[in-house]
Amino acid sequence: MELILEQPAEQLSGNAKRIEILEKVKSIAQKDLALVVDACDQEGFYPEAVLKALGAAGAFGAHLGLDQEDMDFGLAISCMEEVSRVCGATGFVVWCHDVCGVYMQASKNPALTGEALQKHAKGITLGGTGMSNPMKTFSGIETMMLKAKKVEGGYLVSGTLPWVSHIGLKHYFGTVCAVLNEQTGEVDPDHQIMFILPCDREGVTLKDCPSFSAMEGTSTYGLHLKDVLITTDDLVADPAKPFIKNIKASFILLQTGMGLGVAQGAIDSMWEVESQLGKVNQFLEDRPVALQHELDDLRNRIMVLAKTPYESSDEYVLKVLDVRAHASEIALRAAQSALLHQGARGYLLSSAVQRRVRESHFVAIVTPALKHLRYEMAKLKGQHFLN
Amino acid sequence: MNSANTASKTDWLTYICRACGLLYKEEDGDPDSGLAPGTRFEDIPEDWFCPLCGVTKADFVLYVVLDKKQFTKNQSADPTNFSRSNYSDVLIIGAGKAGWEVAKAIRAQSDDLSISIVTGCNGELYEKPQLSNALLKKIQMDRIVLQTGEQAAKQLGVKLFASTHAVHISHHNQQLRTTKGVFKYKYLVIAHGAKPIRHPLLSAQDCWHVNHLSTYRELRKTLDGKKSQIAIIGAGLIGCELANDLALAGHQIALLDAAQRPLAHLIPEAASEALMKSWQALNIQFYGEQQIEQMSHLDGKKVLSMQSGLSLKVDEIVLCMGLQPDSSLAKSAGIEWNQGISVDPQTLKTNVENIFALGDCISVDGKVSRYIEPILRQAQVIANQIAGDQSIVFTTNTLPIRIKTSSLPMRLEGVIERQGEWRISKAKAEQFNSKWQMAQWSKNQVSALLDLG
Repeated sequence: MELILEQPAEQLSGNAKRIEILEKVKSIAQKDLALVVDACDQEGFYPEAVLKALGAAGAFGAHLGLDQEDMDFGLAISCMEEVSRVCGATGFVVWCHDVCGVYMQASKNPALTGEALQKHAKGITLGGTGMSNPMKTFSGIETMMLKAKKVEGGYLVSGTLPWVSHIGLKHYFGTVCAVLNEQTGEVDPDHQIMFILPCDREGVTLKDCPSFSAMEGTSTYGLHLKDVLITTDDLVADPAKPFIKNIKASFILLQTGMGLGVAQGAIDSMWEVESQLGKVNQFLEDRPVALQHELDDLRNRIMVLAKTPYESSDEYVLKVLDVRAHASEIALRAAQSALLHQGARGYLLSSAVQRRVRESHFVAIVTPALKHLRYEMAKLKGQHFLN
Repeated sequence: MNSANTASKTDWLTYICRACGLLYKEEDGDPDSGLAPGTRFEDIPEDWFCPLCGVTKADFVLYVVLDKKQFTKNQSADPTNFSRSNYSDVLIIGAGKAGWEVAKAIRAQSDDLSISIVTGCNGELYEKPQLSNALLKKIQMDRIVLQTGEQAAKQLGVKLFASTHAVHISHHNQQLRTTKGVFKYKYLVIAHGAKPIRHPLLSAQDCWHVNHLSTYRELRKTLDGKKSQIAIIGAGLIGCELANDLALAGHQIALLDAAQRPLAHLIPEAASEALMKSWQALNIQFYGEQQIEQMSHLDGKKVLSMQSGLSLKVDEIVLCMGLQPDSSLAKSAGIEWNQGISVDPQTLKTNVENIFALGDCISVDGKVSRYIEPILRQAQVIANQIAGDQSIVFTTNTLPIRIKTSSLPMRLEGVIERQGEWRISKAKAEQFNSKWQMAQWSKNQVSALLDLG
């Protein structure tokens, strides 16, 4: 098997347009984003200009297949990989924006598709996602933090989401809330709604978050909602449960771009020091060649799955959960190993190598976290095991 | 000391933020947000928010302190809770008969090889054929289990990872991906068996199968102390034996098959007729040429409507439509598949280096086997191969099949030829009601013999 050391542009099959998009994205990531990556990590700088440039280059529209193009989840994942290879936090922002596009498109709501989606796909407007709590609620791990009361003309939503990424006063994001039963006032376990909420809507307050280990610069805020009116124009799905089931695999599959990129970036860093330190680095496990083989295998699996992102069979979902888990594991191992390969120079606060260790932790804990993925796989397998 | 502090100190409670894990200790309060030490949680204003992440009071729950000693005690009773060394010389997938037999055979060859078993079940050792005749033999449920998985693992010096489902084989790095992490191996042995074939119109919740001890145990529990009406779908070996067994326990059995008669693929018409006749003494009614049209629920019972117009109202439905191995794991490693994992007929190697397979999940020259006897020999061959001993090879024998229907036990020997002709052996024809024999003639030779009674 031949190593693909300059992933992934050369390997991409298909038309010149895809390659052109990916080359542009790669260039923006390695030039413009690389310039501000330290500011993102250490000062919480939000690289809006880079995101706009990525949007204009086509990084956010590939998986949506607008203007009679085919949906290309593989290209979207590859773009996210190129960004994450340079900056994991911005890679995460790309995912937030990409998946928000999935919500809008799959809503089939005229107010959220059409022009709104066109602008979103080009990065003219920017959006995020507040789905961690809902996803965990649907998996039976948490309870819903936002609650809605049905009123004339829509719903009034209240509650607090502690941290929602890629939002701001001009942004919007997708989330789900529980609906209260009109008679009892209690949460109706069978009724949830999903909606896109512009952050400047009346009743919405953004609050600063405590600092995280990594992922600064992702424009993440605590969000307080007090009787926020949600109308038909905002609705992605009512009821939300069947909708979530349909988009779950694509939601998770897209995230693999972050893991691939963080791992690839770590492998790049190992090569940087190989000529100088190879003599001693050979005593380490997880050497770059072995990791690259493993990463290439994983990427190939992901690209096969990316051809049918809306498949919902259990067998497919299981594979998606597993590649996402593998992307977390390899990001953790590669980042750790890169630090051991680089030694003190990688431990400098200005080094991408130590930053990537923190980014890899995020890949493994962001919803669905590694433990949740295994829990979900065990549920799926267990159900088949006995039947 | 202020008035709030006058409550007994042991009463202080702690609450945890569900979002960020911040602990609110009543004893300490949160002076920064204006809550004096000793402020009870219920006295906190509703608009107070978490000082770390900003969620409201409603998102806090009572924090229950874990009793670490008790927790550790409970955990240590669970032997699968040892820390996971992720490498084994031999990694076995599946802890049924095949998995355990191969572990035993390898251990018998070598004390030094590290062996791990990953399995979705709990690894209990039992004889699966008993699941279709345990009632006849009056075997209590607790006697079916010969040994717990932990006992067997300890005895053999292997690590058993129960409730651990294999998901993907990354053979390039010799890694098995599971729901409890990644296992590395030198040799991989696939022994995950086969799954019951499901009927597209019957949901898993609505019917039983007896391919696994855990479901059989549930079925027995459900039937215990009752006289139930049971429909068994599929009149092959297991279907017929189970019908016989459940009827003996006093249940009323409707046995259905798409074929015209029971055991149609295995025994001649005269034998099927004799079997049906013998069932008259039991509460078994056979319905041939039946196709399910739909299943519905009525008054807590299940109604099976057949395309023939037949309608049966039963308490339980048991599927006995045969077994089929799941190809997804093997395919993830690029292992050749032909009705099952395609193995070398002699060495039981798959086409992928260092991966072997045995039992219900394999096929030899495209043929599958669902019997116990070959498994023991297969385990031996794999153990020898791993030890580098090529002298023993596997051979496919045709073994006698015992059909354990007590109303008319049968024994089938030889190879059934499709073109063959069954005749009643004259010598025994007179004893039609006790023991008799049939022979299948093909090309002027007896190809198979069937002893009845």
